Amino acid sequence: MVELRKLAVDYPRGSGRSADRVRVPAVAGADAVFNSGGISAIVGPSGCGKTSLVHAVAGLLVPSSGEALIDDRKVAGVRAKTAVIFQDYGLLPWRTVEGNAELPLALAGLGRAERRSRVGPLLEELGLAAFRDFYPAKLSGGMKQRVAIARALAAEPDLLLMDEPFSSLDALTREAAQEFLLEVRRSRPLTILVVTHSIEEAAYLAETVFVMSGRNPGTIRERFDVPENAAAARFAPGSRRDDFRATPRYLKLCAAIRSSLRGAGPTEDGATS
Amino acid sequence: MSQLEAGLRKAAGVVLAALVLVALWALAAAALSKPFLPGPALALAAFWRLASNGTLGLHAGASASRVLWALAVSFVPAATLGLAAGRSPRLDAVVSPLVYILHPLPKAAFLPIILLVFGLGEASKIFLVGLIVFSQILVSARDSARRVPRQLIDSVRSLGASRLELAVLVVVPASLPDLLTSLRVSLGTAVAVLFLAETFATVTGLGYLIVDSWSRVAYAEMYAAIIALSLLGLGLFAAVDAAERLLCPWHSYRT
Ligand SMILES: Nc1ncnc2c1ncn2[C@@H]1O[C@H](COP(=O)(O)OP(=O)(O)OP(=O)(O)O)[C@@H](O)[C@H]1O
Ligand SMILES: [Mg+2]
Repeated sequence: MVELRKLAVDYPRGSGRSADRVRVPAVAGADAVFNSGGISAIVGPSGCGKTSLVHAVAGLLVPSSGEALIDDRKVAGVRAKTAVIFQDYGLLPWRTVEGNAELPLALAGLGRAERRSRVGPLLEELGLAAFRDFYPAKLSGGMKQRVAIARALAAEPDLLLMDEPFSSLDALTREAAQEFLLEVRRSRPLTILVVTHSIEEAAYLAETVFVMSGRNPGTIRERFDVPENAAAARFAPGSRRDDFRATPRYLKLCAAIRSSLRGAGPTEDGATS
Repeated sequence: MSQLEAGLRKAAGVVLAALVLVALWALAAAALSKPFLPGPALALAAFWRLASNGTLGLHAGASASRVLWALAVSFVPAATLGLAAGRSPRLDAVVSPLVYILHPLPKAAFLPIILLVFGLGEASKIFLVGLIVFSQILVSARDSARRVPRQLIDSVRSLGASRLELAVLVVVPASLPDLLTSLRVSLGTAVAVLFLAETFATVTGLGYLIVDSWSRVAYAEMYAAIIALSLLGLGLFAAVDAAERLLCPWHSYRT
C-alpha cells in the first residue's frame, strides 16, 4: 500500500544555481492511499504537480514536508522494488532494446548470462524478441513504450509508477497499450499508479481516480472509487468481464471526473477561475 | 550496405574536391607563372621524391607524434573536467570563470612565453597544441553535459544508479558525439598551430620542412610539405570519423 500524508514538494526558484533561497511550491498537503495490487490514477491539469508527486513516491526527490509511505515505510531515496516509467520513456539512445531492458539488472551487478536469461522471456512476452538489437531511435512509440515496460519489469518490482505513459501514442496504439498494461498486471502482482491527462483512460484503468487541482501548489482535491475496476474483480484467475466502457456507469463516471476537473481552479490554458 | 555506400560517397566527395582544388591550382600556376607557385605536377614530383627518400616520413612522423601526444594529454582531462563541471554547479562555479578567461585567449601568441617556461624541446610544442585542444574540449564537454535531458538522468537514477554509474552510463555516452565533433574542430586549429610551433627551435616536423624549403627557395618541396601537412589533417579527421562510428553506432541512426 502506498500512502501520501500531507505531502508537499517545492523547488528552488530559478536555475537552482543561485543563492536564491526562495522556493516555489509544486505540491502541498496531498493525502492519498493507493491500494496494493490495484491500479490507481491521478488526473489533473498541466502544472498541478503530478510529476512532482510521482517523483516523491519514487524517492527521486525529498518532500519539503509530509511524507510518502510504501508498505508503512517512509520513502527515503530510490527503492529497488519501485519501477518508474517516464513520459518520454527514459530509454538510453545508446543502448539496444536488450541493453535498455537489462539495465536494472546490470546496475544490480548481475552477470551477462544471468541478465540475458532473465530479460529474454520478458522481451518474448512483450513482443520485442525480434528487436533486441535495435536502438530505440529505430522503434515506434508503442514499441519504445513496451521496452520501457520491459525495463521496469526486469527488476521485478512490486510498485510501478507511470507518468503519462501513453500520452504520446496515437489513439489505437494507446488503447492497445492500455490492454497491454492490464495484461501485464494480470500476470503478476503489482501496485500501479498511472498519471494521465485522459479522463477516459483513468476511468477505464483505475479502481481509484484522484483528481488534482490548483497550481503552485497543486493538491489532491477529490477521489473517485470505481469498484468495477477493483483488482479482485478484474485480475483474479479466470475472471472475464465485459467492456466497462460500454456501460452507462462509465459515462457517468467520466462526466463526474470531468466536472471535478472543471471546478478545479486553473484550466489547461492557465486562466484562473 | 548503406553505411558502406555512405562511406564511399564521402570518399568520392573528398577525391572530387581534391581534383577541383588541383585543377584550380594548375590554372592559377599557369596564369601567374611565378616561381613561388609551381604547378601541381612539379609539387607532386617533389612530394614523391621526398616521400621515397624518407624525408617526408620523418617530418610527418614528428608532426603526427606531437599532435597525438597533445591530444593524449589534453583530451581526457579536459573531457572529464568539462563533463563534471556541466553536472556539478559547485565545480562549474570554479571552472566556468576559468573557461571565460582561457577560451578566447589567442593561445598561439603565448608561444614565446611557453618556450621560456617549457624550454625549446618537444614539451613546449606539445603544450601549446594541447592547450588549444584542452580549452575547446573543456567548453564543449561542459555544455554538452548540461544538455543531457533531465529525464534520462532521472530514469537511470530511479534504477538505483550511483553518481559514478550515472556518469558512465548516461553523461559520457550522451556527450560523446559532441566531444568528437569538437575534437574535429580543434584538430583543425591544432594543425595550424602546430605549423607555427614547428617554425621555432626544431629541425623536424612538417612546419619546419615548409619554412626550411621556403628559405632555400625550394618551392616545389615547400608545396610537397604543405600537401603532407594537409594529408596529416585529413588523416586525423578520418580517424575521428572512424572513432565515432566505432564508439557511437547508435548515433548514425538518430538523424
Ligand atoms: N525541476 C523543477 N524546478 C523548478 N520548478 C519545477 C521543477 N519541476 C516542476 N516545477 C514546477 O512545479 C510545478 C508542478 O510541476 P509538475 O511537473 O510536477 O507538474 P505536472 O502536473 O506533472 O505537469 P504536466 O502535466 O505539464 O506534466 C510547476 O509549476 C513547475 O513549474
Ligand atoms: Mg508531468
